[in-house]
This record gives sequence, structure tokens and C-alpha cells, in this order.
Amino acid sequence: MKTFKTGGIHPPESKFTENIPVELMPVPQELAISMNQHLGKPAKPVVKVGSEVKKGELIGEADGFISANVHASTSGKVKSVKPHPHPGGHYAMTVFITPDGQDEWAEGVNTDPVDWHRFSREEIIGKIKDAGIVGMGGAGFPTNVKLAPPPDKKIDTIILNGAECEPFLTADHRLMLESPEEIVEGLNIITSLFGGEARAYIGIESNKKDAIETLTSQASSKGIEVVSLKTKYPQGAEKQLINAITGRTIEPGELPFDKGCLVQNIATAVAVYEAVCKNKPLVDRIVTVSGLEIGKPKNIRALVGTSFRDISLFCGNLKESTNQIISGGPMMGKAVYTLDVPIVKTTSGILFINNAGIEKARERACIRCGKCVDVCPQGLAPWLLANIAQLREFDEIQLLGLANCTECGSCTYVCPSKRELVHWIKYAKALVNNRQKRKSA
Amino acid sequence: MESVNLKVSNAPFVRSKDSIESVMYNVALALAPATVMSVYLFGMRALVLTVVCILSCIAFEWLMDKARNKPNSCLDGSALVTGLLLALNVPANLPLWMVVLGAFIAIVATKHAFGGLGYNVFNPALVARVFLLISFPAAMTNWPFPVPFSFDMMIDMETGASPLGILKTDGVEAALSSLSLMDGFYGRMTGSLGETSTLALLAGALWLWYKKYISMHIPLSLIGSVFLFTGLFHLIDPSTYASPTFHMVTGGLILGAFFMATDMVTSPLSIRGQLLFGLGCGLLTAIIRLWGGYPEGISFAILIMNSVVPLIDRWDLNDRKALNQKKLKTT
Amino acid sequence: MISEAFIPAVASLGSVALTLGLIIFYVSKKFHVEEDPMVTIVNDILPGVNCGACGYPSCGQFAEVLVETKDSSMTCPVGGTDLAAKLGDTLGITMSEPKPITAVVLCQGDNDTARETAEYLGIQDCWAATQTYVGPKQCRYSCVGLGSCIAFCDFGAMRLENGLIIIDKDRCTGCGACIPACPTGVIVMQEKKAERYVIACNSHDKGAATKKACDAGCIACQKCVKVCDDDAIVIENFLAKIIQEKCTSCGKCIEVCPTKVNCILLEEDLKEAKQKKAS
Repeated sequence: MKTFKTGGIHPPESKFTENIPVELMPVPQELAISMNQHLGKPAKPVVKVGSEVKKGELIGEADGFISANVHASTSGKVKSVKPHPHPGGHYAMTVFITPDGQDEWAEGVNTDPVDWHRFSREEIIGKIKDAGIVGMGGAGFPTNVKLAPPPDKKIDTIILNGAECEPFLTADHRLMLESPEEIVEGLNIITSLFGGEARAYIGIESNKKDAIETLTSQASSKGIEVVSLKTKYPQGAEKQLINAITGRTIEPGELPFDKGCLVQNIATAVAVYEAVCKNKPLVDRIVTVSGLEIGKPKNIRALVGTSFRDISLFCGNLKESTNQIISGGPMMGKAVYTLDVPIVKTTSGILFINNAGIEKARERACIRCGKCVDVCPQGLAPWLLANIAQLREFDEIQLLGLANCTECGSCTYVCPSKRELVHWIKYAKALVNNRQKRKSA
Repeated sequence: MESVNLKVSNAPFVRSKDSIESVMYNVALALAPATVMSVYLFGMRALVLTVVCILSCIAFEWLMDKARNKPNSCLDGSALVTGLLLALNVPANLPLWMVVLGAFIAIVATKHAFGGLGYNVFNPALVARVFLLISFPAAMTNWPFPVPFSFDMMIDMETGASPLGILKTDGVEAALSSLSLMDGFYGRMTGSLGETSTLALLAGALWLWYKKYISMHIPLSLIGSVFLFTGLFHLIDPSTYASPTFHMVTGGLILGAFFMATDMVTSPLSIRGQLLFGLGCGLLTAIIRLWGGYPEGISFAILIMNSVVPLIDRWDLNDRKALNQKKLKTT
Repeated sequence: MISEAFIPAVASLGSVALTLGLIIFYVSKKFHVEEDPMVTIVNDILPGVNCGACGYPSCGQFAEVLVETKDSSMTCPVGGTDLAAKLGDTLGITMSEPKPITAVVLCQGDNDTARETAEYLGIQDCWAATQTYVGPKQCRYSCVGLGSCIAFCDFGAMRLENGLIIIDKDRCTGCGACIPACPTGVIVMQEKKAERYVIACNSHDKGAATKKACDAGCIACQKCVKVCDDDAIVIENFLAKIIQEKCTSCGKCIEVCPTKVNCILLEEDLKEAKQKKAS
């Protein structure tokens, strides 16, 4: 079975919700749609307080090259436009919509599927851009930018990421079981953008046998290879996925297109299909609601802008013993400080946990056991980076590969001294950036 | 509505069950066969010595944590392992006050004076042993003969030099006649509490390797280089130099190679560094054994190499920097 | 018998020591670096803290450049006017006087007045906290209250009290080392004045949001602007700011400020200001 060469760990999978079909969550009483749903500059709000909007109508315009459009998730009235907490931890400009209960689509949006072959390459990318499609695996990189790499970079391999290596999360798994045709169609659209010479793969971890079967039978006749990957974290990380399927290594400072590869999350492929064939913007997604502290763990399809609070009520309410609410997965997600944050296009899961260790956990000295070096998928020495970051010696930390860290968390998972390795590395990255900004200013 | 008390921390929110305690207690478990063997060979005195050593190490650790105003971690297992290793490194009839002094040197002078767990440069148990050896050479080299299950508290025990001691003073023939290889392997010879039974030590080492707490790079390169070096000289002149297998089972080689040299805090992290470390230890051990003033060289060898470890780490660090510098320039 | 061992030992070690001493003496004389003696004199006058406030990395460098260029515009904020006079006398020039400045924390949101988000259990450093989320306090412009700036101060002028940084005005020399240490930019440098009024808030949130986040925040109600006869207060982006050059320290603004804890601060201790308001 294929896997990536260096490092990796196998935390308990905890896929409690893998057999629960996706449940559609009804429109909540209020939606808080953040302008910051993607990497890059936040979108600029283009609606005024009091205006009526229809479902799928543009409410935020992409600001610059690395940015994306944002659309209303349902029909209703714009209640306010103000800064509001974002699941990423900080504040972002947010458009509050009070739904009118009609859930009415805007004119020409969400039509019956049309044949995409009649569209030109530019038209397809234009539709993806207009629909505000971003990478739904978590990073939120604007898809239209990703699908148009610099002309000198030849793409010969396209990979759909169905690995879903994070514990608890099963959103992509359910999508693969319930929408295999859309996934394959989306992959075909993406492949067509590269002259039809690119080889297409779908990478799925071996713990999702039913998804592998379903997609294999769906894709067999279409020249797409479904690859079963060893269940090892972080198989779903871009560089590790490329290494496992193609054997190529993305060197530090390189991007996948430098080695002729393009990776998209499986949900993004479906979103691409819907944008191109049905003119449907990205306004909802599957979210795994799980953890031991939620009443009824399940997979839901929720509108972008639904608050964590409403979702927790829809899933049987959270227990009093909850002491952490995670947006995303437990390895790379973010702990939110309030239930009044909305989901965004990249929220793949909400976990309600009682993290018993967090109260007593205190960092102890590094005992130089070397476990972090053994598991780092990027071949770094996390103990070294963290120790230097703690001493605040940032002069040469870049030379130790600080920028290559993908913050996957494998090192922190294994550390016996419970050192916050990833946090120290993120801290060092922020301070080094800050230094460079001040130097150039 | 906000009845839950949320806490914000950083990812990842799940951690493996490993902790310093689990690492340390597993090392202690790996030393259990050797400890049991020592009680079998040297009697109750061995047990009393071991217990006193461990308790005094833990006590000094508690004292130092209090004195340095740090959260108390005397039961995190590191003091236990230091105490156990020190006990296994001394003769069964060593006066108990010397054992306590050794514990003081190990915990206070070697570990906490350098910053505590994770910061010490030298292996605490070894420094204590060497300190005791240099300060009390007679007491530390008067090895009792093994008397299985003896309840004798060492009032008048039959003592003598260790096989390596005989090798140093009386030559190869005398040494070989004092010991059969099988005895050496099982441990029926004079020596410190833990170093005699090669079998028990190997069993414990295999357990540690299985649990992935030690890698075999250091022990194998250490033992390998001792074997090759002593083997070379044995071939050149068998009447002056004992066979490499003799060197394998005598002295603290196995104990040192698997449990002292592999101490995580004081050994290098990279594979290349570990091989170099093992090689250096092995060569120094062999040189001291063959031509040095002391019959046993492994303690000194490991300590000397401990002082070189920061240099080895810096070598690795510079290599990483150079590699990344190259990568940054080419992309 | 004793002397048998004693004399040779003392003699041999003593002669070795003497030889080495002579070698060291010779080397120190032969390889002596010529240095302008004035530089040493000037360096001795300087405070020797190496804080970098003058723009040079060390006091030694400052001395070197000053002696070489005799640039009278070079100032040492730490030494102040006294030092400028001494330097001037030593070098025979008139040194410009540095404006006495001090660091000010534009925040009064301590654990009693600022509303909490959730307990922060990550690395206890202000940068680390603000990188993870908005911080332990709801206001994203506030003093985070984990004390990372304290280590940057060479003069021990900062302390953490009840979740807020307090700057000791007597110890602060205005070197500015604490400014890059703060992730929310809540520390600013201001001129030292006998009676300095400053609006100790950094929040650019609208009034309602500010009030929700903290009891001691400026809600930009404009009462102070209206009452000021000298036009010394302006509102910038929902935050009032006193223009120090125009302020006559009349105190009218402080009487009309409606926020619970005085967010217009005198050049006095925080405790004293609270007592004054209470009485």
C-alpha cells in the first residue's frame, strides 16, 4: 500500500460518525457570513444594512488576486455588517442575515445541470471564480487561482484528496459515499483544464474501504485511478499525498506545480462541478459534529454562516463537561472561545471534547528523546526549532527549516515532555515575519 | 447559556499517552531483571543498598526542586532511574553512607547544578560512580564474591578483585582461570551489583528496544568497536591481551552500553552522531582497559564522550543549516 | 621532610606562573590596541545599559561615534539633560537636550474591568496568545496581560498587576525597547510632563462594542471634545486622543468622562487616580 516516506503517526481514528448519513440542517434563525472565508484578503461587503438578498447572491466581492467572492447562504434581509468573532480566533467583518424562511435562490443560480464541455477553459475558471470556490480541505486557497498556475509550469498529475487523515472527521468520507458521480465529474472538469494529458488520481486512506469501492467502480471507466493509501497521519497533507501517490518530493520553497502536480480536496471538486454545471456558488458544506461531549454526533449539511451554537443544539446539545470546542480536526484545528462563531467554507468539523490533560499539562524540559524527529513528515528537528524559539534567537532559525513546517502536529502529539512544539514554531514564524516587516518598513 | 467553561489552547488537542514518567518507569522496568539477579547473587545487602540509593536520590530531587522553587517532580521517574543505575554500578558491600554521598553527587551536583532534567551534560549516575571510585578506591574495588540468596549484611564477606582487575594486575592466564565464559554470561562473578549478569541486562535492553525507547546504534557501535579493538590486539598478542569475548562479559560494558550510553539527555540525536558517540566510547573503553591505569574504562569513556556530545550536535546543526542554505539558494 | 616536597613544588609552579605572567605582560603591551582616551572617558560617563534608544547598538559605539564626529544632535534619552550637559562639558560642545519621554500603556482593562473570552492555556506569552486567538480579553486592542514586554525592559520599569501592565514613570527612560514587544501596539512613547492627561484606551471598536468588551474603554461619546476649550481632543476612528501640545491640563475632560474607571489619566499612579475619582 502506498504511503509517504518520512515520519508520520497513527493517532486513534475515533471515526464515530463514519456510518451516519449526512443530515440536512434546516435554515437557522440568523446567519453570520464572514468576509474572511479564504486565504488572502477578506472580501469587501457589497450589501447595505436593510437590503434584501436572495440565496446565492453576491454579498462580498473578492479584494485582489488572492481573494474570493462570498455569497448569501439563504434569502433574507441584511441585519448588520460589523466585526464578529471568526472560528480562526480573531475578528472578521461579518454580514448578518435574518432569513425570511423562503430559502429562495437568486435568478439563474442553481439551475439544472448543463453539459460543461461547451464552456471554454477561461469560462470555466471564470465560473469557479464567480462562485467563490475555495479549497475546502481547510486552507481555503481560492480555487480559480490554484487552477491557473503560471504558464511555464506543466501539470501532469491531478490528485483529489480523499484521505481525511484527521481523527473524528468523516465529512469527506460521507461525501464520497453519497456523491461519487459529482466527485468524478468535478475531477473531469479540473482535468480538462490541463489539456487532457494529465493523469488523474483519487487518494483515499485504507480505513475507508467502502468509499474506495464506491469511487473505484464510479471512476474505473473514466481513466481515473483510485489509490488506496496507508492510514497514517498526515497522509492528507498536500506534500505527503503527492509523495505517496507519485513518489515525487516537494522541496522546501517549492509548490506542487513545480513538480507538475495539482491537489484539490474532494469537496472542492464537487463544488467545482456545481459551480460550472449548475451555476451554484459555495454556500453550504458537510460538517462532522463529533466528540464525546456532544449529545448526538452526526454529519450535517449546514449553511455557511450557521453558528456553532445552533449546530450544537441541532446535534443534541453539548454536555456541561465540555471544556474545548474545536473547529476542524484535533490535530490542526482551532479551539474557539465562544459558541457564537459561525461556520465558514473551510469548517470541516466541530468537535466537543473534554480535554482532561489541558488543565494539568505543563511543558517540561526537552529530554532529547528524538521522537519528534522520528515522526516529522518534513524531516525537521522540531525539538531544535522549539528550543531556539523559546530562547527567542530568531537570527538563524530560518536556516533550520522553519518555513518547511506544515504545522501538522505530529511532533507535539508524541512529545513525552508535553512541549508545545507546534505553538513555539508558529510563534517563531510570526515573530520572524514581524521582524522582516519591520526591517523592510 | 454559557454554562460551559471553555479553555483555549493550541493544536493538537490529542496527545499520545507517552510521558516522561512512562519513559522512565519503562527504563526502570528494563533494569528489573538485572536488579533481581543482583539480589540473587549478592543477597539482601544488595536489596538494601538499592533501596537506600533510590530513596536518597528521590529525596535529594525533592530537596532540589524545593530549593530551586520549581514544581516538584521527584516522582517523575528520573530520580528512580538514576538511583537504580547508581546502585547497579557499585559493589554490594559499599558502605551505605557512601551510597548516599553518591546520590548527592548524582542528583545535586551533576543534574540540578546544570539545570535539572534535560539540561545535564554528563550522565549523573556515572559521575557519581566515578566520584566514588576516585575518592574511595579501596571500597569501590573490593568486590564481594556472589553468594546466592545470602542474608549476610556484609560483616565479613569474602571479597576480591574483579576479573578485569585480575587481568590488569596478574595478566591473561590468571584472569581466564578466575572465570568461565558461561559464568560471565550468567553473572556468577565478582563485580558491581548490576554489571555481572549479561543475560539479565540483555533481556532488559531488548525490552527497551521493543518499546522503542532506545535505538541500537549506540550499543552496537560501542560494543562492536570494543570487540574489534580488543580482538585486534588479542590476535597480535594473545598472551598479553584477553580475548574479545572475555571483554564482552566482564566489567560494566553491557550495562554501560545499553543503559548508560543510551541515556537520551546526554547522547546525540542523529544516527550519524550516535554511531560516532558509540565508536568513541568503545575505543576509549578499550584503550583504558588495555593500557590505562584503571581496569575498567567504560565509565570514563562515556563521560568523556558526553562532553563531546554538544560538539556533535553542533556539527549536525551546522549540517542542517548548510543543507537548507543550499536548498534556499537553489529554489 | 616537608621542605623536601615543598620547595621543589613551589619553585617549579612559581616559576611557571612567573613565566606565564611575563608572557601575558609582554603580549598585552605588544598587541595593545590604540584607542582614543577620550572615548574611554565618554564611555564611562554614559549609563552603560546598552539599550539602543540612541540608535546605536551599545554605549561604546555611541561614545566612539560621538568622539569622532562631535555631532551635537546625538542624544542619549536614558541620561537625559544631566548627561547632555556632562557630555557637552567633556567635549567642549553644546549637546542638544533630549526630550524626556516615557512609555505609556494605553489601556486600563485589568482583570476587573475587561471582560474575559476564555481561559488561555497555551504558551504564556502575549505574542503566542494573540496569534492563537483574540486573547484572554475580549477587546482585541487591549493589553493582553501576560507580561511578555517585562523582559524587554532593561530598567525594571514594568510590572504586571491584575492582568495589566503598569509602567513606573520614575524608572522609565523612554528607550523604547518595550514597543516591539507588544503585539497589540498598546504601548506608545509620550513626552514626560508634570501633569499629563492621556486617554488610556486603544480600542477602535464602536462605542457599543467597546462597552461590551470593557468597562474602562473609550466609547467616543465626544463629551470630552465638547468641553475642551483648547481643542486639544480629537476623535480618530471611534477613539478619543489628546493632542499633548495643545493640552493645558485644565482637567475639565476628566470630570465629564462617563466610563466607570477613569480612562483619562494623570501623570500619577493608577491607584492615586482611582482614589481621587472615588473621593
